[in-house]
Amino acid sequence: MVVAEVRIELKKGVADPEGANTRKALELLGFKGIEGVSTVRLFEIKFAERDTTKVKAQVEEMCKRLLANPVIQSYRIDIR
Amino acid sequence: MSKKDHRFVYPRQVGFPVADLKLQGASDEELALLSKESGTGLSVDELKRIIEYFEKKGRDPTDMELQALGQAWSEHCCYKSSKVFLKEFVFGIDTPDVIDRGDAGVMSFDGEHAYALRVESHNHPSAVEPYGGAATGIGGIVRDVLCMGAQPVALVDPLFFGPLDFPQEKMPQGVKHPNYLMRGVVGGISDYGNRIGIPTISGGVWFDSDYLGNCLVNVGCVGIARKEHLLRNRVGGVGDVLVLAGGYTGRDGIHGVTFASAVLTETSESESRGAVQLGDPITKEPLIHACLEAAARGLVRGMKDLGGGGLSCVVGEIAFAAGLGALVHLERVPLKEEGLAPWEIWVSESQERMMLAVDKNRLREVLDIFQLYDVPATPIGEVVAEPVVKVLYKNINVLEMDLDFLTGGPLYCRPLAERAVPTPGGETLPKEPEDYEKALMQMLAHPNVASREWVIRLYDHEVRGSTVVKPLHGVPGHSSHGDAAVLRPVHDSWRGLAIATASDPWRTSLDPFNGGCGIIDEACRNLAAVGARPHSLTDCLNFGNPENPEVLWTFKESVRGIGKVAGDLRMPIPSGNVSFYNEYHDRAIHPTPVVLGCGIVSDARKCVTSDLKRSGDSLYLLGPAHSHMGGSLYYRLHNGEGAVPGVDTALLASCIEALVRSIEAGHVEACHDVSDGGLAVALAEMCIGGQIGAEIDITALGDARTDLKLFCEGNTRWLVEVRQDREEHLRQLCAGLPLHRIGTVRGSAVDIKDGDDIITAKVSEAEDAWKGTLWRLLG
Amino acid sequence: MRPRDVRVCVLRIEGTNCEQEAYQAFADLGAQPEIVHLKQLTGAAPERMRRNLEDYHALMFPGGFSAGDYVRAGAVLAARVKSALSKNLVPFIESGKPVLGVCNGFQALVELGMLPGFGGPMAAAPEAALGTNDSGRFECRPTFLKNENKGKCAFTATIPHGGVIMCPSAHAEGKFILPIEQERELLKRLEDSDQIVFRYVNPEGKRAGHPWNPNGSLDDIAGICSAQGNVMGMMPHPERVFTRYTHPDWTRNFVGPRGDGMAIFESILEYVAHRF
Repeated sequence: MVVAEVRIELKKGVADPEGANTRKALELLGFKGIEGVSTVRLFEIKFAERDTTKVKAQVEEMCKRLLANPVIQSYRIDIR
Repeated sequence: MSKKDHRFVYPRQVGFPVADLKLQGASDEELALLSKESGTGLSVDELKRIIEYFEKKGRDPTDMELQALGQAWSEHCCYKSSKVFLKEFVFGIDTPDVIDRGDAGVMSFDGEHAYALRVESHNHPSAVEPYGGAATGIGGIVRDVLCMGAQPVALVDPLFFGPLDFPQEKMPQGVKHPNYLMRGVVGGISDYGNRIGIPTISGGVWFDSDYLGNCLVNVGCVGIARKEHLLRNRVGGVGDVLVLAGGYTGRDGIHGVTFASAVLTETSESESRGAVQLGDPITKEPLIHACLEAAARGLVRGMKDLGGGGLSCVVGEIAFAAGLGALVHLERVPLKEEGLAPWEIWVSESQERMMLAVDKNRLREVLDIFQLYDVPATPIGEVVAEPVVKVLYKNINVLEMDLDFLTGGPLYCRPLAERAVPTPGGETLPKEPEDYEKALMQMLAHPNVASREWVIRLYDHEVRGSTVVKPLHGVPGHSSHGDAAVLRPVHDSWRGLAIATASDPWRTSLDPFNGGCGIIDEACRNLAAVGARPHSLTDCLNFGNPENPEVLWTFKESVRGIGKVAGDLRMPIPSGNVSFYNEYHDRAIHPTPVVLGCGIVSDARKCVTSDLKRSGDSLYLLGPAHSHMGGSLYYRLHNGEGAVPGVDTALLASCIEALVRSIEAGHVEACHDVSDGGLAVALAEMCIGGQIGAEIDITALGDARTDLKLFCEGNTRWLVEVRQDREEHLRQLCAGLPLHRIGTVRGSAVDIKDGDDIITAKVSEAEDAWKGTLWRLLG
Repeated sequence: MRPRDVRVCVLRIEGTNCEQEAYQAFADLGAQPEIVHLKQLTGAAPERMRRNLEDYHALMFPGGFSAGDYVRAGAVLAARVKSALSKNLVPFIESGKPVLGVCNGFQALVELGMLPGFGGPMAAAPEAALGTNDSGRFECRPTFLKNENKGKCAFTATIPHGGVIMCPSAHAEGKFILPIEQERELLKRLEDSDQIVFRYVNPEGKRAGHPWNPNGSLDDIAGICSAQGNVMGMMPHPERVFTRYTHPDWTRNFVGPRGDGMAIFESILEYVAHRF
């Protein structure tokens, strides 16, 4: 089985209110010394296909068609 | 259980896990251990009754049968400790408008329509996993309304937490901080309720250290249906197909009801995660559409939701309610994961599932509807004539019980221990405040009074487009909260359905009878304040361990109070829920009965809101000038002690009628009930919503001490704004009732005199005090 | 064509939840709306339930949480529409028929590449985004919208230019975002081609930041239309203020039973009636 890990991040300069608010909540709980909190989405997609090149191409297509909006998000694909 | 090596357990060699239990000769200690290890929560006496039943049948029970009985006989499912009191005080209240008392109560709304209502608790799951616990609470209550054939149209959520600023280092072991719990619970309700598209329009958040170890999360739902589309929670007849619709079945939520019927401890969290279900609003949303479409097309003969106890409860109850039985092929149940034992499938409380009884000739049509919505729907069994539930798994008989035995759980008359309540005369007055303005600001900023905007804006209270009176109203950007929300549930009519909640833990804990009376008064006050005639109630009764005689006495007294006022007003309570065992380490919560009241508005276009409207209007207090103050916020903050005010039901009924008629006639510009913080707080809230001041003089309220007149929370009281040219009409409609003219809408300050100047606070300062608290505490 | 002959397709999938009130708005104006599941348009439903998009004169993407909004708000609905319906939808748009997206519907239109529509009726990739509100919270609150459109937009013809309407917002992801590197340039392009329809303002009609702009939208943008003016998306909900009695302040500020949102539905019907 091949596993593709798709990591979706907000592009640099795009506001991340979820990260900012999580940071605020953590600080309210008494955690100190936090430098930053960012929201990252991770999808793990499992394939029966063993050809990693084919999988990679398919996951690229998935990112373009659904998983990422290029206006605000960048993605990184890791195949295991 | 069947995996455990236990001397009573004899696994069958059939290729899947099922075991016979040979319990003859077991000692009491062994039975107690069995109850604990199996997670069934059955008492030794209950186990003995079960052994006796199977001895008569001449065979041993299976593990699955024991699990099914554990579910069916839990406090949560069979109300074994509470039923005697509910029967005595509540069940008998009836009017011709009561249509059904099923999973939700059903009341007549107009000639063609009915509404369904129910409120219930989801306390223990929310204490362990607040987000998921609260979300599934919403999911469950929506199903209760849906299975009556009604479209859910409103959600309400009364919540009770420990103080938000409670020091982290003092938190009891294994307990989550109220701040974390509240964020999780509110987030769960918001994410789930908003996603299924049902507006959350009423509720409440209340803080007290008694709820530190055991928060309360109550959820209510109201739905609307055409009368001919209403369904009963029972099958139509022999041969009906039982269709399981909605989500797949998994291990989530196993032993939810037995968990709900136990006391929380510090290990509850790690032990009980399995008992918290995971909701899926995007399975629920189309499930609602599909069920209602099938019901509207007359394809469904009966419907019931899978809640506590899962299949084990629903199959027995839906069949037995029609005096019939059921045969189920358990391997047909679609599963989330492989490897579930039959008993796990049978008691799983996986969310988003409904049971439909369908005429076998119409089965295809029903399945087509579910297919369009991509909602799984699977025939899993059929209705049989004999009142027995029989379950086959891969054609092997794994459960067979008489339904009168399975659903005939025990009923207890447990011992009661009366305790003293504060009586009139034994009053300890607080020291009169030197600075009244400071005292008022302190109350406005108190977490139990302050603006709930932080919460309310997280809930979509307008989806469905029929919320006529919203939870927040007034000048946009400065809105204050009202007393009841009003929906226009039938599109081509202006008849309104008003919805309000009420609870008063401080008063119910001091004096459960008068406290119980008071919350019905409060619910009715809230409804009347917008122009609605109180019509029906549903309650969620949150208490500690009923095996503690004093706790049970507070329960009985509260129910007696609720029944007294509801009965006098002829307001039926066609549904309800009891939540016992709300304790942490044997410390019970405040007795916390919560009610949801529904009222009928003859024309929603005549409704009024609480925000003051215009300079020059007169202000009246309708209701008694003052009363006892035990349990009030003022006494609580300033160490006063006294009796809890009672309710004069005749006066309440007359005031409601006079007020509602005045509102219908257009004489009233604004109205707000007087509750937490008394007259002064009610007036300040009205000023904030209207962004205008008021000048009042409370000399008219008699010669009691100023603070007592100002902060009294007695029952049956409203503040009413009237245009000067309508004052005479109001007086006429309120003839013979206590009605006091106390001042005028004017200026930009809350200006209060008692002969002398007492308070002159800028409305903007009052607004800052009132609005800032929850934002400060929650960020 | 008369307004009462206008057939409106109100599109539903699992999780859209404002279709009933959207349907009602068109029905109350005498048009012929129908709530249609996406599967009915793509041939995936049983035969007797199937419908053809070209049989309708207008298409509405109502609000809600389509498919749970789990990947990004509106993204799953958009991907499903794009893969199964674009061959019908593109000619629908090109023929000038109106497409309205409200709230989640707006999010879907942006994810579909139909708005702003710089690259034609349906761009290959999204050209904008509706990001998480700056507050990080779902916000259900009254918002006021100024009609900024100079005449391009088919949906605001009956609202005077510069007029302010009350329209409530209820969303967690409504912050209009353009690609940062071209933000100024694309914003100017939107202005120049008269694609800006609504901006958030305060009750006095002035731009005023949070809470009047509930999400931190670029340039206070609440709604935009395509360059041809027949595709519009907006975050606030006009169908919720079809009558005055669901305005948040009707008990104090009553100016007749007509709600501010009605104008948008009227404009659609008038546009269709006039044009087809």
